[in-house]
Amino acid sequence: MSALSAQRAEAARRTVLDAALAAGTCHIGSALSIVDVLAVLYADVLPRAGAEPHRFLLSKGHAATALYATLAAAGVMDAGEVVAGYCADGGHLAGHPERGVPGVEMTGGSLGHGPAIAVGTALADRHAAAGRRTFCLVGDGELNEGSVWEAIALAGHLGLGDLTLVVDANGLQGLGPTADVVDLEPLLPKLSSFGWDAREVGGHDHDALASALGAPGSDRPVAVVARTTKGHGISFMENELMWHYKSLKAADRPRIEAELAAREGVA
Amino acid sequence: MRDAFFEALAELARHDERVWALTGDLGINLFDPIEQAAPGRVLNVGIAEQNLVGVAAGLAYAGRLPFAYSIAPFVTSRPHDQVRVDVAMANAPVTLVGVGGGLAYGYLGPTHHAIEDLGIMRALPNMTVLAPADPAEVRRATRAAFAADGPVYLRLGKNGEPDVLPGDASFVLGRATRLRDGDDVTLVSTGAILGHVVAAADLLAARGVAATVLHYGTLKPFDAEAVVAAAARTGAVVTVEEHSIIGGLGSATAEALAEAGAGAPVRRVGVPDAFVSAVGSQEHLLAHLGLDADGIVATTLALLRERRPTRSLR
Ligand SMILES: Cc1ncc(C[n+]2csc(CCOP(=O)(O)OP(=O)(O)O)c2C)c(N)n1
Ligand SMILES: [Mg+2]
Repeated sequence: MSALSAQRAEAARRTVLDAALAAGTCHIGSALSIVDVLAVLYADVLPRAGAEPHRFLLSKGHAATALYATLAAAGVMDAGEVVAGYCADGGHLAGHPERGVPGVEMTGGSLGHGPAIAVGTALADRHAAAGRRTFCLVGDGELNEGSVWEAIALAGHLGLGDLTLVVDANGLQGLGPTADVVDLEPLLPKLSSFGWDAREVGGHDHDALASALGAPGSDRPVAVVARTTKGHGISFMENELMWHYKSLKAADRPRIEAELAAREGVA
Repeated sequence: MRDAFFEALAELARHDERVWALTGDLGINLFDPIEQAAPGRVLNVGIAEQNLVGVAAGLAYAGRLPFAYSIAPFVTSRPHDQVRVDVAMANAPVTLVGVGGGLAYGYLGPTHHAIEDLGIMRALPNMTVLAPADPAEVRRATRAAFAADGPVYLRLGKNGEPDVLPGDASFVLGRATRLRDGDDVTLVSTGAILGHVVAAADLLAARGVAATVLHYGTLKPFDAEAVVAAAARTGAVVTVEEHSIIGGLGSATAEALAEAGAGAPVRRVGVPDAFVSAVGSQEHLLAHLGLDADGIVATTLALLRERRPTRSLR
């Protein structure tokens, strides 16, 4: 794996938790679920030598801290300012990303919007022969939204090879396991049948992510189904539905620090 | 307000087989008591609000009385054409329940703020719009929604608000509630902001300004008579809502007064015509926008000074 993505992922995980601790906000599990995907994207996939980076749209906006933290690790934001300004009274970063904030391409928070916007940017870039790719990240619960499938159908029909949809397949959504709410598995054949190049990958495996995300589709859009763990990296949050809602208190600081220290030992 | 709604809905579901509870993947643990009271009549349709509203409409066409629950913008804006065609045009007895009315979701940001919901729902023919002020009134409004013949939008705040209305207050659909009587100004309120409005009335009283306070638990149909009468008595009207100044209570009030030929000037305290991009808790944002008691007092005093400049000279 790229040393850069690994190091940035650890930095981002810390920022996510520091921001959550400072603000006392929810959606921590949702953010930790995608820290590795974002680290690989921003370190190894989005940058283009001598050209504007590829585009990234965070559709599951409730994982905002993961985006802010990744942007901080990439030098677009300052980690200290993220922690101080996130969800604070008079702060500058809301609980969902807003277009206009540096590094933020779309306003997230209302689920199901990203894929259609991504079709739009990919169409524009294809028309301009810009060679620029669009990546859009959705939650697996977010796949319940019909609008996601409208965009999937259109992109397949148009053969938008420069569009990549990443599904954060952590198996959990608001009120329970995705399999118990509206089961959309098996996902891979569904996406293939819409004309997509569907790939499945371990969502915390940086090498596998880099190769699945790195290669554009030729004449078909690419769907990367990233099998992730909600709350990844903090043992007591992993696969725990309630960490969609719960917030960290100051008293949680020691056990968070212990988990982060143990990770450093491994990394 | 949220818990009060779920208690009232569980009660209704227990006693009437037609009641169904639908959600768009929100309300963790809150549906369990309803599921117990009404097995098989609770459904999480997933994160799919168009489906939520369409399925609710179908249930209503089949003689059921569905309540469809989500965060306020996600049950009004996100599936708006289903609301308009399947529910309102069909005059179907669906109750759309929006939690987090106004700025209750504070720091979650503008996608989660509901500052246009009252306006867009009020514009729909057949739609009844309810914005109760406190938990006790939520219970009464939920029963009124159940008893209504056509579609209802029920706007809730968050959870844990104190009761503001007197314990014996009744809820009559389409009627405003008068909480205070005063001759100097009329404060008009809707929804959960009432606590701030009453606090403002107290602050004004301490400065010798007697306010009439009117609360609109029903925003539509609008009780024009109540505000026209109060305006005639006080000669000045301030509307207060956790909503855009366009389309909601301020608009309804101004329309009613203008049509009645009432000369009383109106000031609208609400969210100016802009998305709220400031970051913070609900209380922080209300203060920032001049929607807390101090802000309401300031707007009211400014209006009275304009109205009766001589008075401030005394
Ligand atoms: C349109 C819309 N409906 C509902 C919600 C409320 N909501 C926020 S996160 C969430 C669950 C998301 O599940 P998933 O997409 O799997 O993301 P995860 O939390 O697992 O990362 C829900 C229902 C929302 N933000 N937007
Ligand atoms: Mg999920």
